[in-house]
Amino acid sequence: MKLPLKWLKEYVDFNVTPEKFVELMMWRGFEIADIEDEMPGISNVVVGRIEKIEQHPNADKLKICTLNIGAEENLIIITGASNVFEGALVPVAVDGAALAGGVVIHPTVMRGVESFGMLCSGQELGLTEADYPGAEVYGILILQEDHPLGQTIQEAVGLNDIVFDIELTPNRADCISIIGMCREAAAALGQKFVEPAIKQVAGEGDAKDYASVQVMDTDLCPRYIGRVVKDIKIAPSPAWMQKKLRSVGLRPINNIVDITNYVMIEYGQPMHAFDFSCITDGQIIVRRGNEGEVVKTLDGKERTVSPNVLLIADPARGVGIAGVMGGENSEITEGTNTVFFESAVFKGSNIRHTTRELHHVTDASARFVKGVEPVNTQLAIDRAIELVAELGAGTVIGGNIDVCAADISERVINVDWKHVNHILNTDISAEDMVKMLDTLNISAKVEGDVLVVTVPHYRVDIESSIESDWDIAEEIARVYGYYNIEPTLMQGDTFRGCLSPETRHEDQVKDMCVAMGCYEMYNYNFTGPAALNALRITEDDEKYLAVKLMNPFGEDQSLMRTTLMAGMLNTVALNCNRKTGHGRFFEVGNVHLNNNPDLPEERKMLGLIFTGAEENFFTLKGVIEYLFRKLGMADRAEYVPGGSQFFQPGQKALIKVDGQVIGEMGAVHPETRKAFGVPQAAYAAELSVKKLFELRENGKTYKAIPKYPTVPRDIAVVVDECVTSAQVAAAIKAAPVKVLLENVELFDVYRGTGIPEGKKSMAYSYTVRAEDRTLTDEDITDAMNTIIRTLKETLNADLRA
Amino acid sequence: MKDTLEKIRLNTLESLKNAEDEAAIDAINLAVFGKNGSLTEILKGMGKLSKEERAAVGQLVNGVKKELEKELNERKAEIAAKMQELRFAKEAIDVTEPGKISMPEGHLHPMTQTYREIRDALVGMGFTTYEGPEVEYDDYNFTKLNLPLDHPARDMQDTFYVNDKVVLRTHTSPLEARALLNLKPPFRLIMPGRVFRVDEVDASHSPVFMQMEGFVVDKDLTLADLKGTLLTFIHAVFGEDVKMRFRPSYFPFTEPSAEVDVSCTLCGGKGCRLCKGTGWLEILGSGVTNPHELENCGLDPKEWKAFAFGLGVDRIASLKYGITDIRLEYENDARFLKQF
Repeated sequence: MKLPLKWLKEYVDFNVTPEKFVELMMWRGFEIADIEDEMPGISNVVVGRIEKIEQHPNADKLKICTLNIGAEENLIIITGASNVFEGALVPVAVDGAALAGGVVIHPTVMRGVESFGMLCSGQELGLTEADYPGAEVYGILILQEDHPLGQTIQEAVGLNDIVFDIELTPNRADCISIIGMCREAAAALGQKFVEPAIKQVAGEGDAKDYASVQVMDTDLCPRYIGRVVKDIKIAPSPAWMQKKLRSVGLRPINNIVDITNYVMIEYGQPMHAFDFSCITDGQIIVRRGNEGEVVKTLDGKERTVSPNVLLIADPARGVGIAGVMGGENSEITEGTNTVFFESAVFKGSNIRHTTRELHHVTDASARFVKGVEPVNTQLAIDRAIELVAELGAGTVIGGNIDVCAADISERVINVDWKHVNHILNTDISAEDMVKMLDTLNISAKVEGDVLVVTVPHYRVDIESSIESDWDIAEEIARVYGYYNIEPTLMQGDTFRGCLSPETRHEDQVKDMCVAMGCYEMYNYNFTGPAALNALRITEDDEKYLAVKLMNPFGEDQSLMRTTLMAGMLNTVALNCNRKTGHGRFFEVGNVHLNNNPDLPEERKMLGLIFTGAEENFFTLKGVIEYLFRKLGMADRAEYVPGGSQFFQPGQKALIKVDGQVIGEMGAVHPETRKAFGVPQAAYAAELSVKKLFELRENGKTYKAIPKYPTVPRDIAVVVDECVTSAQVAAAIKAAPVKVLLENVELFDVYRGTGIPEGKKSMAYSYTVRAEDRTLTDEDITDAMNTIIRTLKETLNADLRA
Repeated sequence: MKDTLEKIRLNTLESLKNAEDEAAIDAINLAVFGKNGSLTEILKGMGKLSKEERAAVGQLVNGVKKELEKELNERKAEIAAKMQELRFAKEAIDVTEPGKISMPEGHLHPMTQTYREIRDALVGMGFTTYEGPEVEYDDYNFTKLNLPLDHPARDMQDTFYVNDKVVLRTHTSPLEARALLNLKPPFRLIMPGRVFRVDEVDASHSPVFMQMEGFVVDKDLTLADLKGTLLTFIHAVFGEDVKMRFRPSYFPFTEPSAEVDVSCTLCGGKGCRLCKGTGWLEILGSGVTNPHELENCGLDPKEWKAFAFGLGVDRIASLKYGITDIRLEYENDARFLKQF
């Protein structure tokens, strides 16, 4: 919302600096994003008259101009523009002048002749046609009116004001208007705002004899007011009106159109003017569009509408799209003789749907979406008619045509003023509250515990509901000053602050990954069919069931990820390509499976990915085993060959704890790697954070430290290739020894010389001890023999020679 | 004999003086005190002497023996010390060479670190973590929070839709509805999580970002309690010197609503590029929970009061670490991650 200072000054005594005003408004809940010059960045550009034009001796296309800028000496300035003439008033950038885009002007020699400045085009001054006529003409800007020589260009074009750019919150639609903003500004400045008085124009005759209005859908159009003006004299609007329209970025067109725009800016009510001669039988019908109906709008575009779109029509055809744009068939032209002014309320949500359906947003539609209010609708049309009379733009016909289904009666709410104090923790008397509300032009009176508040028609944000107390509390707080609210500490029960067990678990898992040299990734949750395809995920895989977005950015971001793999591979590809030198990453994030008619299943996953010369399946597995040891589940974990298609066959495993699959790991399939641009082998794992939480060991019990020596022993056996390490370890552990057998660990696998083809040697270390004595050599030998025998019996393993 | 003794003494002292290493000392030891050593020979020959002579010579020999032993031990220690010195010199290292570890260090993402810091400040104030789904009912994300269908403020947050009833949550506030419906008040909750908005990616926007919300429900909460809670919290996160500005704003789910600024962490409030010259940085939105929300979730707003505040963890991390482009936080370049 743009509020020009000059316009503001018509309603308030502006007795503070602009910066102070920004602060005062901030404390009222209005953020002023910027204080703009009307011509930002332009300085030292003045009005000059071209006294003489001579041809440049050394360049055909250059002219040497003598400029009178009201100073003692004339300036010589060279220009290449062809539209200059002697006697023209032009903008002159003198030495040191700043122009649009940060250009700074200094004297310069052009083909042997010195030029002491520059003549400017409208564009070089940052002007558009809306700011000043001729601004977008190719060439130097020729000033239209007479101006004193040496006057600043800002004053000459009437853009010497500052404009406050105010960021409005959506609850204050009433402030998308000069009047609304000035009300708040006056309150912030501690001044009484006087509502402008609108002179009622009685007019001749009765509009009802000319026109009729029928509203078919009053839910979409709760109020529609029309007025008729005849004997229209289309002309440019007066300079003051044009200047004001320009100051808020609107381009003057003609008196009638300018009046509608001016009223919209001033009162916040969008209006429309129809050429009444184009309305068949003078009948306005507000109705829904017919399927496939086409309306050609003012911008010349043919728009096909549906029954969701509200139209302004006559008995023959659509003449406008309600709340969005008028129709070309009823446009105001030079020849317009009679005008039908429309001031109406259209339902915001319907206009919102319409703008989406038509992909077209206008100033008017934006205001309807934010909400216009039916009492203001009347004020606006009265104001428009007042302006018609003031500008002598036509003969006003008497009487409104008003179709009103809206409740426009005065709204009174009862507020529990003690409750207001309770909400704010203040101690303000009811009488003081009445005074505070009065500064906002809200009238109230005290009746015991109740504050009877008459809500101004424009304050639709103040509800007649349970919310009333809170609404008034907010108004009181704005006047009282948020800075005056003394911070307090919460009373009542004490609370034991803590992390939930799940949060603590997640923290611990992340910290463990960091301890293992991993960097934490954050990847987006979006993925696409191409990525699923690259991951070789097929229809039979649950990861194929991705949640699909209705309005994604694009196909490649149209799904919610079902696995962390794609993001992890992108990260690794980026780091490989940029040669960042790090190859261990992890992420904790959610995946979603569309396996539920209600909300999708959300799984929090831990993803790990390793790449680099030193990494392999087992370096990754080592980290997972470390996690499991820390979580007290290492003894319960098993690794079963198998897993997703994005892993390479033969180098992938499902990870089970207590027999439940909690994740998988493996070497990334070369085709998948290639698709993601990962140039080297990569190893990844994905584990359910929730399952890790459920299966982890909580609480430990101390076990006595052994009193008697622990004896380490090694054993190497030769087995068939198909025998797994897990099988051998399990067999050793299961051997019926008479001592305590512990710490069974594989430390070497050997194939080659001395070992028959199809066999391998596996070397294990283990320890033996007893609880109650030091073991004898006999005990130790006996245990080893038992192990050897067991291995032979169960796995046909031979002691390595 | 006396002369011989004196000769041995002088010779030995001379040899000790010339000895350069422990081996030379050992050789002298053997030559003087060994089985056939010069002094040993003299002691052996004492049997031939008369009793009187034996006593006198014995005293003499013992004196020399003691003296030589002492000298020898001293010289030995001296040489050992010297040898050690030499060895140390040889073993001296360049202490400025880099250290070695078997495992390269890992790094938590700056966002996680920031989140934990903020969260832990609130835990100290009696808050507990509470999480919920990223893919959420429209009802919880909007309607229950006083944002019914077609409410103009729905446009404040451009939403990704899964279907008419399901959205990607646009904020962590649906957790307020979940907490109100599922937990027994009073409670104080920290509600973190990823949220989603239809925002094209640029230096300051991301369609996915991390939010964290504080939510308190109790009998007698006031706007002043909210302000006090935020002040304590801000001092815990940004330091005691930071100033807070608590100013009116609007959110559909709170009333009165407030936005909170802190004095610029870079310039301290004088005005700089980070704070765009204002001296203040906007960090969170907050307010007293709207009575419609409490009512929608089955709580009597006259009996129970609530307040909430929410902040963008990405934004706080950016401010804290001076990260100028939010895209870096989702790119996972190791050279970025290892800085934190």
